[in-house]
Amino acid sequence: MLSVEALKIRYGEVEAVRRVDLAVDSGEIIALVGANGAGKSSTLSAIAGLVPAASGKVIFDGADITGLAPEAIARKGVALVPEGRRIFASLTVADNLRLGGAVHLTPPEARAREEEMLELFPILRRYHRAKGGNLSGGEQQMLAIARALMSKPRMVLLDEPSLGLAPQLIDTVFDLIAELRRTGLTILLVEQNVALALEIADRAVVLANGEVVLSGTAKELASSDLVRQAYLGA
Amino acid sequence: MIAQQIINAVSLGGVYALLALGLAIVFSIVGLINFAHGELMTLSGYALLACLVFGLPFPLAVLVAVSCGALAAVAMERVAFRPMRGASVTSLLLTSFAVSSLLKVVFQNGISARPQAVAMPGWMTGAFSFGDFTIGVGPSISIVVSALALIALELFLRRTVTGTAMRAAAEDFNVVRLMGIPASRIIATAFLLSGLLAGLAAMLWVAQRASVDPLMGFTPVLKAFIAAVVGGLGSLPGAVAGGFLLGIIEVLLQATLPGAVAPYRDAIVLSGVIAVLLIRPQGLIPAVRAQRS
Repeated sequence: MLSVEALKIRYGEVEAVRRVDLAVDSGEIIALVGANGAGKSSTLSAIAGLVPAASGKVIFDGADITGLAPEAIARKGVALVPEGRRIFASLTVADNLRLGGAVHLTPPEARAREEEMLELFPILRRYHRAKGGNLSGGEQQMLAIARALMSKPRMVLLDEPSLGLAPQLIDTVFDLIAELRRTGLTILLVEQNVALALEIADRAVVLANGEVVLSGTAKELASSDLVRQAYLGA
Repeated sequence: MIAQQIINAVSLGGVYALLALGLAIVFSIVGLINFAHGELMTLSGYALLACLVFGLPFPLAVLVAVSCGALAAVAMERVAFRPMRGASVTSLLLTSFAVSSLLKVVFQNGISARPQAVAMPGWMTGAFSFGDFTIGVGPSISIVVSALALIALELFLRRTVTGTAMRAAAEDFNVVRLMGIPASRIIATAFLLSGLLAGLAAMLWVAQRASVDPLMGFTPVLKAFIAAVVGGLGSLPGAVAGGFLLGIIEVLLQATLPGAVAPYRDAIVLSGVIAVLLIRPQGLIPAVRAQRS
């Protein structure tokens, strides 16, 4: 469904990503793991069109989407849940959700979809009229995910959904991700918590210093020496 | 007398508020302080003059003139600011200075450096009285128009999807684009609204003075800029508060200062601005802004 070929990203003189190749098939969860600064978030940002690729290609559904504007990529059905949630703090939960589906759905479709989201995230129904900025970190993460799902995307890019959350909330968020996969959604997950990511993913790609150092099924990686020593602390 | 001064104060404040809002809307979304905002006002003034010279009925002339301001703002963005998208605040500021100077020269050489009289309908300069109070028709209309414009803008920003997207874009533009909402649409709407407000302000300004000149927009927009900074740059409620505050203080000082001190009115007002900014550097009602990457 999505393939990234020889992606390179530069911020000025700094090469944040040297070379990333990866492929995501329909209905899969692929985890992109690695240490801080390995280039995971940059890779997601380039796929979503927020940062330009210095070279390489991003292909979605057979079409080259490299260099398209973020709004154009979103319209093709790729939704990014950005790192740090970035919900609209001064807007109500309802308005945050509405914007998520604004260009993709007709008004009746958007209302139906919003209802589905409120079923999936009951906490958002409770705070429907509250400002996004007044929610707790975990609630904001739910809102960020729900906002991305409003557009009925075919693929979701999740950037560090566990960041800054209490352990119980992390479990809730990951249960939810597993549930989303059951609905047939394709997910590319960036996560620093490697153990957690490998538990939920079908396959994983390990990045270090902007390059792919290892990839395989989640099971293979969980038992590989490199991953165990470097990331799982075993 | 006091009632008349209050009406004048609120009416002037309303014009400043409309202009400051226009500056604030554009600034909140593209980070540009548009110094060519005054020229949008001037352009609307000339459009009104032209329409009246060609014999259009007054309401239609006003409609055309305000639309000219709005369209000119959108055109300005397309021609001058869009190629500079992503440039630094300084480059954008200089671009807006260039546009402003260019338009002033066009007005001076293409039309005339001298003020041109605008034939406003007679009833606008009239007054009506309740018992002892005499209230000018012009300032009263100005207050009503400003109030309606503020309400309409508020409804647009709260109730429509585009308005909601604009409030979101003021906070985090990139995330709005991630929702599939085109950046160009948001930016064009911001300029359209700012031009519309400048056009309305121009009508109110011309109504009080019955003339147009190439530098017409300079002073009110300078005041509006001060109002926007005092209110909190990029904050819409702040711009409105700053505009009314500045207008009211100016008129009150005008009315109460003894003759010997009157020439220092602007100096006193600006000292007040410095004092406000020393105490509240972010302005009276600071803008909300999330992190930008």
